[in-house]
Amino acid sequence: MKKILLIVLLGVITMTGCVNVKIYQRTYLQDPLMDVKRETSKQKLDEKFFSTREGSIGGAAGIAGGCGCAK
Amino acid sequence: MPKKLIKITVLLLLPFFLLPVPVLFAEGEQLGYTTYYFSDSGGNSVVTTSFNLAKRILKKTVFLLDLEVDNVTVPAITAVTGATRPRRQSNKPFKKTRGQAIVGLEQGIDANTSLAVNAYRSQEVDYVSNSLIGSLTHDMFQQNTTLTLRGQFIADKVGKILDDGKLVNQDKTSYWGMASLRQLLSPTTVLNLSYDGIYLKGFLSDPYREVKVFDANNRFIMVEEHHPDNRLRQAVTAKLNQAIPAIKASITGNYRYYWDDWGVKSHTAEIQFNKYVLDDLITRFHYRYYFQDKADFYQDHYTTDYYPGKGFLTSDYKLQRFFSNNFGISLTLLFRKLAYSHPTWEFLKDSSVEIRYFRYFNTLDFSANIFQMNVNFGI
Repeated sequence: MKKILLIVLLGVITMTGCVNVKIYQRTYLQDPLMDVKRETSKQKLDEKFFSTREGSIGGAAGIAGGCGCAK
Repeated sequence: MPKKLIKITVLLLLPFFLLPVPVLFAEGEQLGYTTYYFSDSGGNSVVTTSFNLAKRILKKTVFLLDLEVDNVTVPAITAVTGATRPRRQSNKPFKKTRGQAIVGLEQGIDANTSLAVNAYRSQEVDYVSNSLIGSLTHDMFQQNTTLTLRGQFIADKVGKILDDGKLVNQDKTSYWGMASLRQLLSPTTVLNLSYDGIYLKGFLSDPYREVKVFDANNRFIMVEEHHPDNRLRQAVTAKLNQAIPAIKASITGNYRYYWDDWGVKSHTAEIQFNKYVLDDLITRFHYRYYFQDKADFYQDHYTTDYYPGKGFLTSDYKLQRFFSNNFGISLTLLFRKLAYSHPTWEFLKDSSVEIRYFRYFNTLDFSANIFQMNVNFGI
């Protein structure tokens, strides 16, 4: 698993800088359908819920801290 | 949904209608309100009210504020419950309120770099958490690539309310590092990769949870849960957003692999389909699958050979092996058409109201219903 992750990471780092999407080509990326920022407040509460029911954590966009619910 | 929640919702929304709304918002600023209602098959319920603000106070400085209140109800101990609570007055539901505040500043360094510092505090009757968070965001290659680095220090007081009402606190400290990379792959595709590493030390058990330990005659005694006093938790996440302009839709795939030094490993896979059903109305369908393996020291049946003094004990359901499924649906109403109909309403061009419902169930016979409403002004 770790080898696969390393290969994916190296692939992305190699790709970084090669792709150039111009500002004027980003109409679809800025649409509410795609806008990641809009997901943040939802993700924060989802992450809180899942961390109280499951043994995993990480990957959410928002800031989280300690809470008695996730002991 | 409880009447109290409706009252809180109305009270918090009132200022939006009474104040001269264009005064509240400017380009790049945000005002958000979220209400969240959760109830599960164990009889626990949580009502969350959250409010967040991003307000530009200087040319390159943004003030950040996030307030959240949880009203938690845990049933009497006779009920089957996933949450933990004091034994005191155990024949009555245990109710508590948790307040959380995050205050911060985001400072632009140059056109492509910004720094943010946030302070976090969460307080409830038997738990206090303080945290300091610093993050750096840097755009590269004509903003095709965005790198974010975040560091966080968390100091918690884990409390236990004893039978006589006294409170006993124990310390827990966490260090959390996160790195994420956002890469545009095409005019319709975005990839996000992230890594989280969290090191925890101190009191990592639940002070209320007890474990049954059986002797050779199958009689048992109740012993307090005893977890290791440190834990290294790590996760890598990949998320791909793909727009499908031909059908006015997009699809999001998300995968997370998690592992820690207690032996817990998990896989999380999510998929979400988003589609315009009207010009200003988006519907979203969401599915999440989760699997985790058990912790090395987790046992269904502890015996006196194993304890006392010979090993760690847990009755934490989060350390068992299980699967879970989560289905969700949401509707998002945008106000773009209204915003462009008259200058008075222009401030609504990046605003939205969203309602969500999702149902969660797992192989431990646990299920939950979650309702959520988000109101956002500007982004």
